[in-house]
Amino acid sequence: MERRELRGRDLGGQAHRQEKGVGFQLEVVMEAVDLSFLSEVERDFIIQVLQRDEELRKVEERRIRRLKNELLDIRRKGAKRGSQRYSERTCARCQQSLGRISPKANTCRGCNHLVCRDCRSYSADSCWRCKVCAKEAELKKSTGDWFYDQRLHRFAPRLGSDIIRISLRRKPQANKRETASQALLQKAQRNDPQRSSEAARKSPQQQRKEPRLISDSSELRDPKSDTESTENMSLDGLRPISGPTSARSSPRQEKMKSLNPSGSKVSSLTLPISSRETPHSDSDSEALGETQGAVSADENEILFKKNPRRIQRPSEYTKSVIDLRPEDAVNESGILGDRSKSVPGLNVEAEEEEEDIDNLVEIHRRRAARSSLRSGTSLSTLGSLASIYSEAGDFGNINVTGEIAFSLSYEEKTQALFIHVKECRHLAYADEVKKRSNPYVKTYLLPDKSRQGKRKTTIKRNTVNPLYNELLKYEIKKSLLLTRTLQFSVWHHDRFGRNNFLGEVDVAMDAWNFNNQLEECLPLHGKNLADAAAPQDKGELVVSLKFVPPAKHLGTGNGKKGKKEEGGELQVWIKEAKNLTAAKSGGTSDSFVKGYLLPLRNKTTKKKTPVVKKSLNPHYNHTLVYNKISAEQLSHICLELTVWDREPLSSNDFLGGVRLGVGNGMSNGEAVEWMDSTGEEINLWQKMCKYPGSWAEGTLPLRATMTKLRP
Amino acid sequence: MTDGDYDYLIKLLALGDSGVGKTTLLYRYTDNKFNPKFITTVGIDFREKRVVYNSQGSSGSPGKAFKVHLQLWDTAGQERFRSLTTAFFRDAMGFLLMFDLTSQQSFLNVRNWMSQLQANAYCENPDIVLIGNKADLSDQREVNEREAKELADKYSIPYFETSAATGQNVDKAVETLLDLIMKRMEQCVDKSQISDTANGGSSGKLVSSKSDEKKCAC
Repeated sequence: MERRELRGRDLGGQAHRQEKGVGFQLEVVMEAVDLSFLSEVERDFIIQVLQRDEELRKVEERRIRRLKNELLDIRRKGAKRGSQRYSERTCARCQQSLGRISPKANTCRGCNHLVCRDCRSYSADSCWRCKVCAKEAELKKSTGDWFYDQRLHRFAPRLGSDIIRISLRRKPQANKRETASQALLQKAQRNDPQRSSEAARKSPQQQRKEPRLISDSSELRDPKSDTESTENMSLDGLRPISGPTSARSSPRQEKMKSLNPSGSKVSSLTLPISSRETPHSDSDSEALGETQGAVSADENEILFKKNPRRIQRPSEYTKSVIDLRPEDAVNESGILGDRSKSVPGLNVEAEEEEEDIDNLVEIHRRRAARSSLRSGTSLSTLGSLASIYSEAGDFGNINVTGEIAFSLSYEEKTQALFIHVKECRHLAYADEVKKRSNPYVKTYLLPDKSRQGKRKTTIKRNTVNPLYNELLKYEIKKSLLLTRTLQFSVWHHDRFGRNNFLGEVDVAMDAWNFNNQLEECLPLHGKNLADAAAPQDKGELVVSLKFVPPAKHLGTGNGKKGKKEEGGELQVWIKEAKNLTAAKSGGTSDSFVKGYLLPLRNKTTKKKTPVVKKSLNPHYNHTLVYNKISAEQLSHICLELTVWDREPLSSNDFLGGVRLGVGNGMSNGEAVEWMDSTGEEINLWQKMCKYPGSWAEGTLPLRATMTKLRP
Repeated sequence: MTDGDYDYLIKLLALGDSGVGKTTLLYRYTDNKFNPKFITTVGIDFREKRVVYNSQGSSGSPGKAFKVHLQLWDTAGQERFRSLTTAFFRDAMGFLLMFDLTSQQSFLNVRNWMSQLQANAYCENPDIVLIGNKADLSDQREVNEREAKELADKYSIPYFETSAATGQNVDKAVETLLDLIMKRMEQCVDKSQISDTANGGSSGKLVSSKSDEKKCAC
């Protein structure tokens, strides 16, 4: 039962969103289920079961997504759709001429197209269907659609639910598949008095998130058969595969969710009530903090030294430039003058701690491990967590202790929020051995995590009780401010290495009494999952890839460049991105996509799309073309696509990225770090390699960091 | 424990009065072990098992083996969990309706469970097997095979007498249910595609005829 304590209680957030969807039929059913009769223990027990079910469901979702992509592949190979605008005498699937045949005997009983013998799939009773219909039928079975469609029919959604569903953030396609377990899990969390206060505290953030979702028209989907919706989608070639992939859950993200410990939540829960009403007991927190610190001090030290993340120098990459047009590559490393060159984690930049999800995860992991240890459960929990995230990288973290003292005032005249950061007390040591911390305080008005929204105090050297007495100012309308959450985070400044996280505290602005300008003192806590998960979810990129092999290249008349058969052409059609992170203060981003064809990370392979302004769901519809590529090279190169927010006067902000390749860690016989594609990334690449000359489309979750994914 | 490496995810659910042996039967099925202790199930629980299903199907390719991941939901028989457990009926593709051969009352309640199922399952006539458990306790038997069989016939569902203690018929009962579900699945899909041909004279009607098919699915 090791899953028991891993799973989040954090679903409160989702449940909160779900509340808007009263139209959900299941929601209605679940309202009738009264859980109040359950005891606390029983409730927890049931929640554990539901969480186990959720894990299974996520595996299933991934499987279904994979299956549906397969169908799309097969379908794409045959151009004929329902429209009959093709010659009557050709096979609907492979376009071969059929000659004189009897239409009756050669019509697929599924789709009524004429189909040649090669494109049929015979069943036991010597009936046949065309390959697409056969695949569809197979899919209907293997995805469980046969069941869900029937169930849907019986428990027909109430009228109007379609409209309401648009405003729902969570994967509309899950509607059909939503299970009692799923709904109940959300309900259970929601009804918890403790947790509902947590949800309330968070609400301004969530409310703010809502509007942009409504505009996401791709989420408006047929609640009926997924198999059919895929049909419709492929009929309309321009629409992206928003299908099952729009359930925005990358495997990593799912792991993240599963990591949420019950412990971290509790600590943040105590914040609004206890710390404000009753003066915080110093001795208590100190004692607690110190015992924790003592336990892991040594461990920390060791882990630090083993820290697998090294900052990569660009030269390490250009070094491996050997095979692909070496003549261009040699001196390129010096010309990386481009602002957007710095993919976080790859280049020296490593600008700020907060971008580093792995770090957050790690901190989180520790908390999870601690809380599970405290509650007396098995060590295997720790082990499995460690194994999941041992690959994540940074082990540098600190047991959060101490508190922060501050006061807030809002000046109506200038529409400005003033944050008086007075001091911190009893902070943790960033360096346990030397007993050193160089702390500074940083603030954000969440959800805005952009650079413009960041404020910092000065750095106080060598103290765990820094006295700042500094004013941080935000110019922001009061009405807008009330939707924000003020986040203080304390960091240790390390001149030579990475800054270390020392703790944070969130203050919901809607609950704040601005008349009270007295000093507040709140205990710091570690990153909680909600925060850790948020930056991880970077949205998705919809891309189509096509590899045109040399011979065909000329034949199809596509070669307007007239290059002789030196190699094939890799066409990268950047269609759109979805749910990008907002980097600008208005809650938008001016984004573009940049492509590199690794191992060459330089101008020869750098291609960019135009900037699409003010959109978190930008349609780029732009094709990048790489030529002189042979089919053999495809398993040695890797297409890196990164999304950036264009920032004219400063450096561009990284919004996420993907790497498309075979993902085996090797290139031309050498181990390389960048050949690290996973999941959909590999699938898409393989799909493209497998069907040269046809488009392979995929919706890829954006990575939050371009550091290596695998050990 | 689960990867995505299976062909079908099939969800079954065991129901019946408290103490008839639902948990124990499932435990026997998944782990092949017997736990004689009575620990009442809190609300709901589930177990998983990966099996290989060989289709000898009418329309599927004969003898093909599929990997099936079974999710076996276990429900509390106690009345106080009723609202909770019935909510899970809708998510199961097939049901193990159980009673205790040593308890006449649990057998009488089978009728109630049947009507609960008819009201709450994904369709009005879902796949069910009737299971009389604790067949090993022959000296305490209160329900005889004939009356149980009659009831099952009335509902046109298979009947098995099982023993979680000895393992008797346990696999068979579950496998029979799985078989029913897999057959229904085939039929469902097959029917829908045939109905396309029946309705759709031209391929232009493809979309509309497809939406019709939903209404007649099984």
